[in-house]
Amino acid sequence: MENISAWKHPFAQISDTTRIFDQNNYIADKAISLTTKLALDLQKPILLEGEAGVGKTQLAKTLATIIDSPLIRLQCYEGLDASSTLYEWNYARQILEIRLAESSEDKRKNLEKSIFGEDFLFARPLLQAIRHSGEKPPVLLIDEIDRADEEFEAFLLELLSDFQITIPEIGTFTARVPPIVVLTSNRTRELNDALKRRCLYLWVDYPSPEKEKEIILRHVPLIESQLATSVTLVMENLRKMDFLKKPGVAEAIDWSKALLGLEQEEITPEILVETSGVLLKYKDDIDRLKSADLEQVIK
Amino acid sequence: MSVALLNKNSHSLANHTFAIFDKARDAGIQISPSRTIDVFKSLSSIDISDRTQFQIALRVNLVSSKEHEVLFDRVFYNYWSNIPESDGDYILANSEMIRGDLDVGLSNEGHRDMLSESDSFADNEVSRKSNLGFRWDDQSAALQRLIRTITRKLATRPSRRRKISGRGDRIDVRHSVRKSIPFGMELLKLSTTEPKVRKTRIIMLCDVSGSMDVFNPFLLQLMLGVQKLLKNSRTMVFSTKISEITGLLKGQSVLDVLNEVAKAVRHWSGGTNIAEAIAQLNRGLLLEGSAKSTVLVIVSDGYDNGDIERIVKELTITKRHIRSLVWINPMYGASSFEVRSKTMKAAMPFIDEFLPAYNTESLEKLVAGLNRIK
Repeated sequence: MENISAWKHPFAQISDTTRIFDQNNYIADKAISLTTKLALDLQKPILLEGEAGVGKTQLAKTLATIIDSPLIRLQCYEGLDASSTLYEWNYARQILEIRLAESSEDKRKNLEKSIFGEDFLFARPLLQAIRHSGEKPPVLLIDEIDRADEEFEAFLLELLSDFQITIPEIGTFTARVPPIVVLTSNRTRELNDALKRRCLYLWVDYPSPEKEKEIILRHVPLIESQLATSVTLVMENLRKMDFLKKPGVAEAIDWSKALLGLEQEEITPEILVETSGVLLKYKDDIDRLKSADLEQVIK
Repeated sequence: MSVALLNKNSHSLANHTFAIFDKARDAGIQISPSRTIDVFKSLSSIDISDRTQFQIALRVNLVSSKEHEVLFDRVFYNYWSNIPESDGDYILANSEMIRGDLDVGLSNEGHRDMLSESDSFADNEVSRKSNLGFRWDDQSAALQRLIRTITRKLATRPSRRRKISGRGDRIDVRHSVRKSIPFGMELLKLSTTEPKVRKTRIIMLCDVSGSMDVFNPFLLQLMLGVQKLLKNSRTMVFSTKISEITGLLKGQSVLDVLNEVAKAVRHWSGGTNIAEAIAQLNRGLLLEGSAKSTVLVIVSDGYDNGDIERIVKELTITKRHIRSLVWINPMYGASSFEVRSKTMKAAMPFIDEFLPAYNTESLEKLVAGLNRIK
């Protein structure tokens, strides 16, 4: 499908992509930068897989900020169906229109045509993305696609390959400006091959300690460099432990803020236990941490 | 195709790209024509003199899972390792990226990957430590020997009953005395006993979902080996459905078997539903035969999005119908392996032996583990 918009994305070179992400407080490595650039060049969706809290969703948010375009987010869950993602008819307004039409012969004749028009439609995220009328493409974030059912994945295929959606009563909507689609998955289940084939795939791993320190310093600018280093080392040790939910980058940032708020200059076993609720979200994990060799963890 | 590809290097670049495709296909990565087209479109967006960019551009288009990502990096690395530097007609072959440290590209991506561990091993260690996911060599004698050993161990287990044996470890006083009667009760020779061997009925349940694609070669060799040696064993494969392939494992080589299985099993490389597969076993095969002699061997990485409660419920039923549950996980054995998937965590309490099958070295540990099965 041809893109009829004259919009050109700002990522001419890979170095530009990394730099622009950096200016927007997203530390992107070469793989993320290149994948984003390719997705925009080829108009293909990006499928980001990785553990929770490694910055997959943030990539879509940052992309929307960079191109100054709306972020349309579809949070997936079990049982999500086409009607709640695409459109719903405004039944109350349709009934009102029918009542009004009862008083007029002319209106009655055209009733069916009018009440199934676009004016009576509640556009849900996918339709919003397709009907977007701006010059710049919106960023469509389909978050945690692995939580949705396989049927919903099949439903997405038409959207992702042709950027069009069919509403039986009205017809087919084709995107004037194809949205930039970012799908994320925590890999709680395998996605359909057909869906994967339509996307550029990228596994997002936990950042290296150096990269994580840079992220912390960006988001918590008042933190001391030494403390930020300690935080990243503790995070690295914690991620080696057998937790139900390992702490991600978001937890590292929150913990840094907590340490700063508590005016801590260094990390001690006591403060690690007292603030463990910021890092770990399951009681079993917290108990496991308490029973571990904390001196070793903070080393 | 981009302008960049139409210059004098284009032929060579295309050749190298297609050669990498071939290697990737050999390693189990499926490359469709549409993906090929996307790769060449992508090449127009990158600086092809930068090997890392070239690698990432190919990778994001060709792979669809973390395992394949790691596998592709390995294929890419191996491919360029075998290209002599004198192959200078290609822009990449002369570039800094090719001559430089090939690990840089990998480490840049933060891949502390499990499958590339063999990089750091000495040559003589590589074959033992390299991942089984890359092994299509069904002629590998060492691997075949190990699979035969595994099969024998699975098929037999020591009974509590004992039999007279010249190499036994326990003295049988009664037998020794009886044998001494002709010699005037002089104990000239002590009789010894060893445990009797009991035959086991093996049911293999192999995961052939997409996440296990990398391990298909090993999986097929194991299934073929077990079926050849144990005629009464039954082999099932599952992804979202379950199919029995016992009758198909009659070929002489892995590739023969692969052809047969590919025709018959349509759900190969699909999703995973371990609970459903176990449920069907519970209501079918496991009702036949004696629970005392049945060993269920599940070969799976445990990546599944199934209902955890259902898995627990079905495994509880399974345990009533079998003597032992052996779970072989092809990822277990890598140094960075840990039980992460919820399914695997839920299944762990029901497993009698959780064994590695990551590389030949870990298969040796697997053999040792099989000795512990009661």
